[in-house]
Amino acid sequence: MHIDFLRERFAAARDKDALIWRDQSVTYGWLLEELDRLSASLEAAGVKTGAVVSVEADFSPRAVALLLALIERNAILVPLTSSVEEKKPEFREIAEVESVVEIRSDDSLHAWNTGTTASHPLLVGLKQSQSPGLILFSSGSTGKSKAALHDIVPMLEKFKVPRQTLRTITFLLFDHIGGFNTLMYNLSNSGCVITVADRRPDTICRAIEQHKVQLLPTSPTFVNLLLVSEAYRQFDLSSLQTVTYGTEVMPESTLRRFHALFPNIKLQQTYGLSEVGIMRSKSKSSDSLWVKVGGEGFETRIVEGLLEIKAKSAMLGYLNAPSPFTDDGWFKTGDAVEVDGEYIKILGRKSELINVGGEKVYPAEVESTLQLMDGVEDVAVRGEPNPITGHVVFARVKLSTDEDLPAFRKRMHEFCKDKLARFKIPQKIELVEKAMHGERFKKMRRGD
Amino acid sequence: MKDQLLPFIVETARSIAEEQGIDVSKELNDSTRLFGEGGLLDSLALVSLVIAVEQGIEERFGVRVEIADDKALSQKNSPYRTIGSLAAYAAQELEAKKAAG
Repeated sequence: MHIDFLRERFAAARDKDALIWRDQSVTYGWLLEELDRLSASLEAAGVKTGAVVSVEADFSPRAVALLLALIERNAILVPLTSSVEEKKPEFREIAEVESVVEIRSDDSLHAWNTGTTASHPLLVGLKQSQSPGLILFSSGSTGKSKAALHDIVPMLEKFKVPRQTLRTITFLLFDHIGGFNTLMYNLSNSGCVITVADRRPDTICRAIEQHKVQLLPTSPTFVNLLLVSEAYRQFDLSSLQTVTYGTEVMPESTLRRFHALFPNIKLQQTYGLSEVGIMRSKSKSSDSLWVKVGGEGFETRIVEGLLEIKAKSAMLGYLNAPSPFTDDGWFKTGDAVEVDGEYIKILGRKSELINVGGEKVYPAEVESTLQLMDGVEDVAVRGEPNPITGHVVFARVKLSTDEDLPAFRKRMHEFCKDKLARFKIPQKIELVEKAMHGERFKKMRRGD
Repeated sequence: MKDQLLPFIVETARSIAEEQGIDVSKELNDSTRLFGEGGLLDSLALVSLVIAVEQGIEERFGVRVEIADDKALSQKNSPYRTIGSLAAYAAQELEAKKAAG
């Protein structure tokens, strides 16, 4: 019922490529047939309608058909990919998973009931309303993973408006609000989703060339890696029209460098959170961090410099944490913003603000400046307590040079003295060997 | 131990002051005032120096010492008065850490 509009669009685009997986394509016609086959399999395996079902699969055409078949059966989906392998038992317990459906690496389907009966009031309420649901776990990079429960019906609403048909790489998987959004956008608009085996810059560039990708939704961290690796030199990226970036603050230096290299690629900032969904957004220009956010179903306001959002597609709540909404339904994002008319500029998480002897420093600005230095491959900045100034700016830097710490510190001061206020120049530096991003290509400022 | 640390601290203080645009035309030694009245450094440079000394000691001796903590700040005589007092305090903390194994 809830995906009838998708069935209609699939039928109208029967011969078009829907997905590319392991460099093989499947059509919308195949997806429709697979959807019916899987519905029958789920019925035979005793997966009840309305059940809480974990979907344990990587991003394959079958997994996509499975998600749709489960939505049609009003299931509450719990997508768990191999990136959270060791956490699966914990996540199943938090989500009170009633049935597990697994697609193994040989593409075979296995389904069983766990014997659990979901009793969380939010789950019980959603079942009673006979709506399909979606449970997304936060990455837990800043604490324990929180389980956000969504009603899928309002999430699907915005996809009923037809938009541009594009060939898109899925950078994030469907266990992430951004990946789920990308998938649904493409399926709703007869676009083609290109899946990739990993997210190394050369893998992504090869896929863009080979499959004539038009849209790459990604993160600032990946854009930086792409620039540093120079992988773009070996491939033809001329099909690429738009790169969207979100999930963290884009360093201005990275944005400018990318725009200078690819003036014809439109750079578009996105803004979304697993708690409220993905807003529509419009960047002022490709080399601007000013962005308009909102769109149908979203209201925004700024309270004491922090962005708050009220959304029709907001989650129902966390399964394992108190409600983060105000009594009248606003979500405090914790993101500090500057305002200029209709546009906002995201400065960073309030919680990541560093107070150095009373002066305020956002990590993103310092990272953006240090990334302009020769030999700096990656940098992550955070505050560290220090009794002399309250906190110090602590930068962990990955270098491609063989400088020692005193030599780098000296060069850094020389470089930064006319670019950053003195209190913003890192007082503490550590040189590191390994990359500083997580599975979802988001900078990990807290890591060791 | 203090004598061992002194040249390293002098050298580090000099480079940090130079990096941060502080005039260091005079010779630096044991009795150079670091912080406070007539001191060479302001709080930002002091913090950088103290961290650089901690990191330098860890690199040289493989021991993590804390010379910017509540204990350091609550000493009767501030360890940050002079280069010599900082070297003495760092040496004392290093010895204590080594003795504790």
